[in-house]
Amino acid sequence: MVGGFSILLWVGAVLCWIAFGIQYVSNPSASLDSVYLGTVLAVVVILTGIFAYYQEAKSTNIMASFCKMIPQQAVVIRDSEKKVIPAEQLVVGDIVEIKGGDQIPADIRLLSAQGCKVDNSSLTGESEPQSRSSEFTHENPLETKNITFYSTTCLEGTATGMVINTGDRTIIGRIASLASGVGNEKTPIAIEIEHFVHIVAGVAVSVGILFFIIAVCMKYHVLDAIIFLIAIIVANVPEGLLATVTVALSLTAKRMAKKNCLVKNLEAVETLGSTSIICSDKTGTLTQNRMTVAHLWFDNQIFVADTSEDNLNQGFDQSSGTWTSLSKIIALCNRAEFKPGQESVPIMKRVVVGDASETALLKFSEVILGDVMEIRKRNHKVVEIPFNSTNKFQLSIHQTEDPNDKRFLLVMKGAPERILEKCSTIMINGKEQPLDKSMAQAFHTAYMELGGLGERVLGFCHFYLPADEFPETYSFDSESMNFPTSNLCFVGLLSMIDPPRSTVPDAVTKCRSAGIKVIMVTGDHPITAKAIAKSVGIISANSETVEDIAKRCNIAVEQVNKRDAKAAVVTGMELKDMSPEQLDELLANYPEIVFARTSPQQKLIIVEGCQRQDAVVAVTGDGVNDSPALKKADIGVAMGITGSDAAKNAADMILLDDNFSSIVTGVEEGRLIFDNLKKTIAYTLTKNIAELCPFLIYIILGLPLPIGTITLLFIDLGTDIIPSIALAYEKAESDIMNRKPRHKKKDRLVNQQLAVYSYLHIGLMQALGAFLVYFTVYAQQGFRPTSLFHLRIAWDSDHLNDLEDNYGQEWTSYQRQYLEWTGYTAFFVGIMVQQIADLIIRKTRKNSIFKQGLFRNKVIWVGIASQIIVALLLSYGLGSITALNFTMLKAQYWFVAVPHAILIWVYDEMRKLFIRLYPGSWWDKNMYY
Amino acid sequence: RESFQPEPGEWKRFIYNPTSGEFLGRTAKSWGLILLFYLVFYGFLAALFTFTMWVMLQTLNDEVPKYRDQIPSPGLMVFPKPLSALEYTFSASDPSSYRGYIEDLRKFLKPYTLEEQKNLTVCPDGILSEQKGPVYVACQFPIFLLQACSGMSDPDFGYSQGSPCVLVKMNRIIGLKPEGTPRIECIPKDENVASISTYPNNGIIDLKYFPYYGKKLHVGYLQPLVAAQVIFSANSTKKEVTVECKIDGSPNLKNQDDRDKFLGRVAFKIIARA
Repeated sequence: MVGGFSILLWVGAVLCWIAFGIQYVSNPSASLDSVYLGTVLAVVVILTGIFAYYQEAKSTNIMASFCKMIPQQAVVIRDSEKKVIPAEQLVVGDIVEIKGGDQIPADIRLLSAQGCKVDNSSLTGESEPQSRSSEFTHENPLETKNITFYSTTCLEGTATGMVINTGDRTIIGRIASLASGVGNEKTPIAIEIEHFVHIVAGVAVSVGILFFIIAVCMKYHVLDAIIFLIAIIVANVPEGLLATVTVALSLTAKRMAKKNCLVKNLEAVETLGSTSIICSDKTGTLTQNRMTVAHLWFDNQIFVADTSEDNLNQGFDQSSGTWTSLSKIIALCNRAEFKPGQESVPIMKRVVVGDASETALLKFSEVILGDVMEIRKRNHKVVEIPFNSTNKFQLSIHQTEDPNDKRFLLVMKGAPERILEKCSTIMINGKEQPLDKSMAQAFHTAYMELGGLGERVLGFCHFYLPADEFPETYSFDSESMNFPTSNLCFVGLLSMIDPPRSTVPDAVTKCRSAGIKVIMVTGDHPITAKAIAKSVGIISANSETVEDIAKRCNIAVEQVNKRDAKAAVVTGMELKDMSPEQLDELLANYPEIVFARTSPQQKLIIVEGCQRQDAVVAVTGDGVNDSPALKKADIGVAMGITGSDAAKNAADMILLDDNFSSIVTGVEEGRLIFDNLKKTIAYTLTKNIAELCPFLIYIILGLPLPIGTITLLFIDLGTDIIPSIALAYEKAESDIMNRKPRHKKKDRLVNQQLAVYSYLHIGLMQALGAFLVYFTVYAQQGFRPTSLFHLRIAWDSDHLNDLEDNYGQEWTSYQRQYLEWTGYTAFFVGIMVQQIADLIIRKTRKNSIFKQGLFRNKVIWVGIASQIIVALLLSYGLGSITALNFTMLKAQYWFVAVPHAILIWVYDEMRKLFIRLYPGSWWDKNMYY
Repeated sequence: RESFQPEPGEWKRFIYNPTSGEFLGRTAKSWGLILLFYLVFYGFLAALFTFTMWVMLQTLNDEVPKYRDQIPSPGLMVFPKPLSALEYTFSASDPSSYRGYIEDLRKFLKPYTLEEQKNLTVCPDGILSEQKGPVYVACQFPIFLLQACSGMSDPDFGYSQGSPCVLVKMNRIIGLKPEGTPRIECIPKDENVASISTYPNNGIIDLKYFPYYGKKLHVGYLQPLVAAQVIFSANSTKKEVTVECKIDGSPNLKNQDDRDKFLGRVAFKIIARA
């Protein structure tokens, strides 16, 4: 309710009251018109203020409800009783119990723990589960094993501990407050709207003051000059526009929420559209965040497995005997299990107890073989050695399902080179062959190839224990390993990766054609990061890094001309040694960049580096440690599923499905709203000229006033409101995702072309059309156009009650007044009719209306209907209320401006045609807004 | 912010940039094109507007306005023509205080002199003088009907005697045909202060002056007038009175409109100073 236009309108309102006050003192019977006007202005400001507040509050509510969806609970021991209380009621010293799956309710020092593992990834970025015990192992609280942190999750095991910090004093709380310390920059759209307000207010005030001076010089009474000033300001200020902008933004926010982008701050809706760099996380955003079998190598051949989300299409050749053996090993040598009671859930969605790769293998074999649990039951496990980091293998021994075969089957999986060491034979096409040099070479080639894809490779081997040495009753011992672990038979390799989401490559391509640079920032290994980057197109198929070129040309990395490389993979270590200038150079010179092994702090550095390039940066993140970067980014995007609360708080937008392609949808919506706001503003500004000219001509040429100030408000806040909102529903023009992101400082919402075209082209045509209606009304009632010039003083004189028209008839002052109101109504209708044409031409900026489709946006027609209905109501319904200055207008006057409206349409179609025909020409530069 | 407050050097460069030859942000060629464009564009718009106005003017009739619905009923106006409020202040003993009024009345009555009226027709009293054209005649309004206020017997229109004359005129409206017997009735607000004499007697407006056929056809048309002479009572010390005049006796001439204070009525104030 303060700032910008509101201030102007307040000033107008106060001036009105002052003017009335002065009038009243000198003449107590002064007309109440200026009091009405002042009151109306004040009401307008207050109403639009309340409306904007209401809209903001509504969208804040959406957010608030989202936050409260999962109230956190804690199990606490108080008064020697276990109680479940909300986490915020915990105090320091409370003893709490946690178990697998819980979120840690506060910073806790463990008193006891059984197999407790926590996921600290949201805090430190480490994706491996960390084990926790009651031992004190390090001075640093972040390193020591006996502290668990607020908002991390306990993956397995149980623990009991004492609360040492709560709320904002927790480690996470401190990071969060650090995030809130990072300055919250103004959103680009806020800057644009401010810029627009400055322009319009500048025009309004300067034209107002100019004509105030002219009026005073022309010997007008100062009070009258003040009234003119107010009228000029009212004519120039688009009263309804800010409310319209708010509505348009919240409409888009709603539409985006439907597409899984929840926008917290209304203005952020557009920011995404102007984004020129997206710094994206890898895990979960670009990838599916689950290990999946990607490739298999057996029979000296690499097979590709399906890694799409549903994973059901495993089309590789499964006829070989080797595959039968391999599949058995995969199914049996695995400790992961489905949680019970999920038979109806699709396999890929079932919850599994076990680590990521075992889960992947379990699901893989479940898809191909059917019920794995049943297979395991049939092949009873007699002994197993779980995976550990010294052995680097996992082994188990099973009875076979064939009742005639009394041999035990030993199955083993592990690091490929370790497995190969233990083998002396290799299975090819279901037959064992000696593992000769050439086979070993083939293995290494395959291993390197899969490893080079950034995949985690596992080797598989088996061995049927001879029945004579190991009878059915043999007692296996996992400690002493009383069974052979060498000279086994190598069966195959299998590689896994966290595969990209299937929609991502397409989304990245879209980003690229939209001129948006996608930078991957991940804590992962450079090779994996690069592989994923390649597979989603962040590094395009034909571009190379400096290292690739060096390898191809067989020269040292230093010798490579850096300009030849389009892509770069930069690790956190390298980044640490870079100066800001070097980082700037890196960001500016390489179109395709992957940052690997980066720490969360470095993310902030990268974001700042991008912002130094004048880019609008979007950052995705989920961890608490991401929150400073999210806050620093022009638009922070938090993940709705995996995201921590701190990240969600710091972000401007939340991706409810964690999916990168939703960002692209968001970009499209953001660009669309920017375009549509441009159209709305152009639409709204156009009529300002038609509203302003009457006053200028009234002052200078002395015509009876063509339109009153209150009537103007009925255009700005009556007929024009719904149409300008309707433009927010306009569909995108064809090139929306094929042009460069707008430059923050160069591509303004309201640029010179828009203002000039709206004011000096269409606006002027509108003014002429409206004047035509006005002159027609006067002429047909007896006052020909030429007689109207400089008639003002006689016309406005209350005491002159026999003003003669061109036909010798004489008019009383009230009769003239009534004719003047008819003139207002006529002028109003003239503007309204042409605003319909204006609305239609504003549907597109470049494409022909006929290409865009006249009827695709139904809301436009609602808008047009509303214009006509409001005008009809004002003229015929309320025409008898004097304060409104409307009269019942003859039916034919409604059509006088129609030819002008058609002309406006034709002219604009011509403008668009030439822009399309001659891109880059003088016409394009001056006429495209 | 920088876009609003460029450096002083930038301003200079904006006004004239020697490297690119840009003047106010455009090169000479660009300025030329822009000016040419606007010349053509605005020339076209001006021509278009002129053309549409011309078309609109073709719909008009020279003799009668297309619509007359906004003035269905005439207003009343008084003479001398009031300058600001409808107030006449004069002093019978001071001729300069009313000289302006008298001159105004004389000027107004100029077309009504016998000399001016000699080409006009003498029409039969009491009936509308409807005409078919093509030549329309105007009826004489003998000025002596205004009797004491005619200016013939008293060139001072009663002002020097302290009984001022005010002429009341009904606005011209094309085609207006009053019904009944219209007359102007003037009543002082306070009858103890003053009385009013109206001329012609009873303030009669003869129907023969109607209908009016418009400035172009009805050459020499004279509106019927009614004079109201205010005669202050001798015993009243207060010489100030408000007079209300209104049309009466005709059902189709309105004299009571809430918003229009001059529709079929007029009120004025006479202040006679000592």
